Amino acid sequence: MTSVHRRQLLQGAALGALAYTVGGAQVLLSPREAHAQGVPLKVLSPDERTALEALGETLLPGAKDAGLAHYIDQQLSVDPSEALLLARALGVMPPYANFYRAGLAALDASSLKIHGAKFAALSPEKRSDFVEQFRQKNPEGWSAPPPSPFFYFVSRGDAVDVFYGTVEGFERLGIPYMPHIIPIRKW
Amino acid sequence: MANEKVDVVIVGGGASGILLAAKLGQAGKKVVILEMGPPLGLDDLVSSQIWSRRLKWGGVPVVSEGKNPVAHNYQSGWGLGGAAMHQFANWPRFHAEDFRVKSQYGRGLDWPISYDEVRPYYDRIQKEVGLSGDHVAEVWRPAGDPYPMPPIKWFRQAELLAEGFRKVGMRIAPMPVAINSVPYNGRPACIYDGWCEAGCPTGALVNPQVTYLPVARKAGVEIRTDAYVTRVLMNAKGDRATGVEYYDKGKQRQVQLADVVVLSAFSASNPRILLNSSSDRHPKGLANSSGLVGQHVMAHITFSAFAMFEENTENHMGTSGAFGMSQDGYVKDSHPGLGSYTWTIGVAMKPNDVLGFANSQPQLFGNALHDFMKRASRSLARIGVQAEELPNAENRVVLSDRKDAYGFPLARVIHGLDENSMQLFNHIRSEGDRIVKATRAKETWTNPNPGLAHFLGGTVMGKSAKDSVTDSYGRTHDVGNLFITGGGLFPTIAGVHPTFTLHALTLRTADYMAKNWGGIAA
Repeated sequence: MTSVHRRQLLQGAALGALAYTVGGAQVLLSPREAHAQGVPLKVLSPDERTALEALGETLLPGAKDAGLAHYIDQQLSVDPSEALLLARALGVMPPYANFYRAGLAALDASSLKIHGAKFAALSPEKRSDFVEQFRQKNPEGWSAPPPSPFFYFVSRGDAVDVFYGTVEGFERLGIPYMPHIIPIRKW
Repeated sequence: MANEKVDVVIVGGGASGILLAAKLGQAGKKVVILEMGPPLGLDDLVSSQIWSRRLKWGGVPVVSEGKNPVAHNYQSGWGLGGAAMHQFANWPRFHAEDFRVKSQYGRGLDWPISYDEVRPYYDRIQKEVGLSGDHVAEVWRPAGDPYPMPPIKWFRQAELLAEGFRKVGMRIAPMPVAINSVPYNGRPACIYDGWCEAGCPTGALVNPQVTYLPVARKAGVEIRTDAYVTRVLMNAKGDRATGVEYYDKGKQRQVQLADVVVLSAFSASNPRILLNSSSDRHPKGLANSSGLVGQHVMAHITFSAFAMFEENTENHMGTSGAFGMSQDGYVKDSHPGLGSYTWTIGVAMKPNDVLGFANSQPQLFGNALHDFMKRASRSLARIGVQAEELPNAENRVVLSDRKDAYGFPLARVIHGLDENSMQLFNHIRSEGDRIVKATRAKETWTNPNPGLAHFLGGTVMGKSAKDSVTDSYGRTHDVGNLFITGGGLFPTIAGVHPTFTLHALTLRTADYMAKNWGGIAA
């Protein structure tokens, strides 16, 4: 394999290909591609997606376009024993959709209580201030579980996964990926 | 549905189950392994921290509670090969004093065996699987054969951190690792790309898929994956195990009869199976006349200290384990908080996942996190610790009110660190702070809270049913043809990683079973 071909292969493999349904057919796309193509979500509601993307963008700018919502949503649609989510490794009880739904609902409820608007409607500065608050302890109006510091930790980890935990992400940091087996298979 | 009776049924296809199966298969026994997870192969070991989570627990949920919950899912494994598929392969030996903590220090528990009795098995295992290290530089090491391979390569990070240890007057040595520094037994040398946690498909790192699984298969061991064992079955008299009950991938109930039953599942699962095997004759659960099944769950107390250098630390190169070690704090009563600990020096890091460098500063987010990631990917370095938690009966596995799809209660693990453990942690944190500050790094920081690694105890060995669940071979005191293997047997956990000792104990059990087969299976 020439270095050019290898590079193209790795870039195409940026986050690995996930199975998405487009026009009734199952296709393999990276979450970034699925996001760019507007593939409908299967599990998360529009409100949950809005909150998740706003949170992801606050935790790590660029996470939204990297396909954070499409990554999480696709992973929530597979059997928990197949899941690649950080939540699995951290011992969150499946089904993992319950964790995200409860966390995102608490995020918006608390934001409404404290700031009078859902999280995604806050200014970037207010979003950051609110994250700084809830990463340390449950803010007013946050209905645990999950506790807000843990939801912060997992959500931040998800954003880091899609943005930096990929071949593309390694390239951004200027470190070689050096795979034995490249993550191009169906997730 | 009943299957043909076999000599031995082993519950769990992890490091200890596969090793035992290989040895008993070679001894001519008909062996079946029932593995709960999928039939993983080396092709499944995709180089990605995201993908690595498929090697972590994916079975029936385990409820983890307490002041310091054990990270069950992260520590355990999923699929053929078990937790050893994602092990970091740091393999120091336990020390002689680790086997007699209670008699020497008045706290904790004693093992029913001494280091001298385990030593030959350490030596045999390291020769069979291959270890890299420097036995002379390890001035703390108990008597044992030299390692069969020289130490693994050090990258810049390790050299920079080693300066800190030397400046505070601490001795260091290469970490002994179950990773090939040179080709060994037909397996290649490590290429230091740091993907160990995602599973090493090259065979440079010891995992069951490249060590004892091929031996087991060659010896005719049958392996059934997606086989979820729920109970040990007993004879009418209640004094002999007759086999196990399990559910297959199609959710069909199956029975596997055997002369000898071995529980080689993870340390939370073995107590669960025993407790779920209760009956009129064993109302507290099987092999539980001591009342100790599930008790004395332990984890290593972990800690990390970080240094950001002004030069390139090459932190993307190396292994998920460590380059170096120091055991100058190993003597248990030489510092506040009774217990041993081992420093680990330098580790290959990835950007993401639990131990990725993003989590070295978990409070950072937004553009500040981006800025940190760029600096960390070039210049970060880390030291870590494995410290001993003493056994505490309050830390335990019990049955949960929640049940699985077949009506069996889930395992509920309750765990907290006591005052002694916190004293030890605070001492380690202070020492770690001094070490990284003694390096040439301008910026250093330490983890404020203890972490936990490994999951041990719960079916501890001892001299009698008054103080333990099994004897030193893992044979349960109550049922002569029921054995347990793995880290759940450890009465104390030492200040080092457990996998080498787990292998040595299992090999000792295999020898014992093969030599005393008539008395066990009759």
